[in-house]
This record gives sequence, structure tokens and C-alpha cells, in this order.
Amino acid sequence: MTRHSPDRIEAPSVRFDRVGLRYDSNEEVLSDLTFELERGSFTFLTGASGAGKTSLLRLIYLALGPTAGEVYLFGQRTSQLRRAQLSALRRRVGIVFQDFRLLEHLSAYENVALPLRVQGKKETSYRADVEDLLQWVGLGERLHARPATLSGGEQQRVAIARALVSKPDLLIADEPTGNVDPEMGARLMRLFQELNRRLGASVLIATHDLALIERTDAAVMRLQNGLLVRDAGGTVKR
Amino acid sequence: MSKTKIEGRESPLLPHSDAREVALLFVVAALCFLAALVALSARASYGAAAEWTSQVDGEMTVRLRGVDARAAETAEALISEFADIETARLIPREEAMQMLAPWFGGAGLPAGFPVPVLVEVKTVAGATGLGPRLTQALAEAGFEAQVDDHAKWGQDVRRALGAARFFAFSAVALLVATAIAVIAFATHAALLARRDIVNVLHLSGAPDPFIANLFERRFWLLGLRGGTVGAIAALGVAALLVFVLGVNTQRAWLLPRLSLDFWDFLILLLTPIIAGFAARLAARRTVIRELAGMI
Repeated sequence: MTRHSPDRIEAPSVRFDRVGLRYDSNEEVLSDLTFELERGSFTFLTGASGAGKTSLLRLIYLALGPTAGEVYLFGQRTSQLRRAQLSALRRRVGIVFQDFRLLEHLSAYENVALPLRVQGKKETSYRADVEDLLQWVGLGERLHARPATLSGGEQQRVAIARALVSKPDLLIADEPTGNVDPEMGARLMRLFQELNRRLGASVLIATHDLALIERTDAAVMRLQNGLLVRDAGGTVKR
Repeated sequence: MSKTKIEGRESPLLPHSDAREVALLFVVAALCFLAALVALSARASYGAAAEWTSQVDGEMTVRLRGVDARAAETAEALISEFADIETARLIPREEAMQMLAPWFGGAGLPAGFPVPVLVEVKTVAGATGLGPRLTQALAEAGFEAQVDDHAKWGQDVRRALGAARFFAFSAVALLVATAIAVIAFATHAALLARRDIVNVLHLSGAPDPFIANLFERRFWLLGLRGGTVGAIAALGVAALLVFVLGVNTQRAWLLPRLSLDFWDFLILLLTPIIAGFAARLAARRTVIRELAGMI
């Protein structure tokens, strides 16, 4: 796996500095958020529906820009980056969307390989890795299956494999165990932890699953009405 | 657990064309057909007009009044020695009668009809203001002469040629602009329909040119295909007209002289290439503009 430049190793993976977000002229969805996710941290983000979890994740994976404050990713102030630089930063972030966002006209294999194609890699260079990853998530027999023919749980596993395939520096997962059985949920959590421990990737998981949180000693950020109200563990700084 | 092996080519990141693109292909083909036909017509008109003007440019006709055969020959000699005159030929009476015959029907010219005495003059290339000078010289020599340098006819033809060219260029420009607008609209619609794909690619770190290139390639091929269909249809219509007018030559004299030469084939060859480039450019501008709306 290729790691990125050492100057960024010192910087936190994510830093929010008094970040606010409002959609159009409506009330703020997120208010005055200041926190850091240190490199190699493993963090849960929790909160009631509508608390702003997905909005916060969207700010981190650069689908949105903040309406107040600054978002730093790997030490880089994102508001000052050019579009090409933002694209390069996005390639370092793996995302598991709550609604999976698989491309319907591509097979499971092709969906997983998508981030590598975007990076311009040759198919022969990643074929074995993609096959192994799909095998690992239990879809070794469904490589050619289109998303429409997969169950919700299978689609979720394809989405997770897609997020992991480029071995990202930061993995963001929005309710990643919501559609899988407990056994697969536990396997996925082990995979996230392995990615975190062995490769030093930061992991941020948004979830309602308190049992999942309690099984680990990871830090927890809790959002309530757009405000960060509590965190625990040693990896989140406020 | 055994694994299914992956073989074969990767699927395109954009899905294969849908009904919208088939409809767009038809529209592009129709626009290219019209544009190619207008361009071929303009070229044919230009060729015909150039031929007409080249026939009358450099020619004059001198009509002599009240002269006998001897005086006519003297006038012919005077004209042929005049500056900027290449040749002068006294048109024989029989030839002049033949020229008039079609206007008098089967009965022929009435007896004693005053057949005009005409001198056909060819001038050197680029000679100007020769008509008035020759009229004055003939008058000074005692001849009552009327010199027709065909200037009015040439001017009319050139004016008509200019107007035809202007309208042809305008029509081609309008058709090209329409095609670009239609393609831009279709690209926008395609982009909206595939916003999910664009979003996933964008968030996977695909740079704007990478995403734009997907649409560019798709619409470049669509433009090429539409242009080729349009050009082939225009070639078919032009070939049919050439054939029909070739068979019925006596009915074709008012129409431009149609032919299919190197330049016509070049127009037809360029039609799909221009359509492809226009489609590609329109798609690129539309996609880049849309992506600029995302951070």
C-alpha cells in the first residue's frame, strides 16, 4: 500500500475549526463545531436522526463546504484548495454511503474497482485485489452480479468493499452495519479495526447501534441538534 | 468458496445510450443533412454564378447603326486596334439572324427585317472603363455605336451570388448553432439523469476533466454518427438531383449546375467531423459548468 507524504502524518486526519453549516437560508444544521480526528483514530459518531450526522460526514468527505469556519483534511485547509487538489484529497477518503450508491449498470466487481479506475490504474494491476476483497466480504460468487440482483446486505458489502479497495487514509461509514446480519456486522467491524490498526487509517463510523459502540473502546462523538455535546475516549480532541 | 474469475473488458462508466440519445442522434443527423445540403447548394450556386460571370466578363458587344458592310469592316478594324482589346469579330448577317430566329417562331424573320450589325469583342483581362472609351472613339470616327460591356448583367449576377452566399452561410451557421444548442440541452439532460453516477465519480476523487471526458467521448461519437448519417443522406439526395438533371438537361437551365466533385465530397466528409467536434465541445462546456456547481 502506498502511504501519503510524511508532512501530513503529523497533521490530524480531520480538523474542524468553528464549523457551521446551513442549507440555503434555513437554520444552521451544524453549529460551531471544533474537533480533531487524529491520524489513526477510530471514532464513532452518534446522535438521533436529524442531529446532523450525515451533514457532518458530507463536510468531511468534501461533498459540501461549510458556511462558517474551516475544515482541514490531512492538514490542508480545504477552502483554499483548487478543484484538482480537492479531487486528490477525495481519493484518500473511502466512503460507505448509507444508501450504498452503487452504479446499477456495473457489476459488483466493477463497482468495487471504480475508485481504482478513477485513479487511472490498469485492470490487470488490481484484478486480484478486487476479487480477494469481494471474496472476503462473502461475494466471491457474485462478482458479475448487478446491484439490482443483490440483496440489501450484499449491496452494503459491495459498498464497503468499494470504500476499502483503495486502502484509504480515512474511512467514513454511514450506518455500515445497518443491513447486514450480526455475524457480518462483527466481521466488518473487525475489518475496520484491522484497517485502522495495521494501515494506520483513521476510521469514522456514524451509527445508531449502541451495542456496536460498547463492544469497542473507541472515541465517541455525539451530535444533538447540530451541536457536539459529548465525546469519550482518547482519540478525539476538542 | 470458489471464485468466479473476471474476464473480458470493463464496462463503460456511463451506461449505454438510452432512448434520449437515439432521439438526439436523429436530430443531429437531420440537422447535418440540412447543413450539408445547404452547403452543397451554396457551392453549386457559387459555381454556376462564377461560370455565368466568367462568360460575360471580358466580353463586349458593339452594335453599329446605319452602316453598310464596308463601314462595318472599317469599324471592326478600328475596334481591334483599340487599346485593351484582344479580338474583335464582325458577326456575319446569317449568324445574327440565327441568334434572332428563336424570337420569331417557325415563320422566321420577316423580309426586310433590320438585322443589327454586331461586333463581338474580347478584352484583355482586367480592362476597366473600356465601354465609354470605345463608344467615344467610335463616335469620333463617325460611327453611331452602342457598346454593351455586360456590366449590368455581371453586377446583377454578382449581387445575386453575394446574397446567395450570405444566405447559405447564415443557414449553415444557424443549423450548426441549433445543433450545438440541442446537444448542450441533451448533455444537460443526460447529466441530470446520471447525476448519481457523476456524484459517485466526483466523490471517488475523479477530477472534472475525467468526468467531462466520459461525456465528451459519448457525444463525440454521437456527433460523428449523426453527421455521417446526415452526410450520406445529403449525398444520396445530391446524387439523385445530379442524375435527374442530367437526364432532363433541357429543364435544368434555370437551376445551378449540379455536380459532385472533390470539394463537394470534402464538404460531406467534413460534416460528421464538424458535428463530432461541435457535440464534443458542447458536452464539455455543459459538464464543466455543471461540475462547477459542486465543490
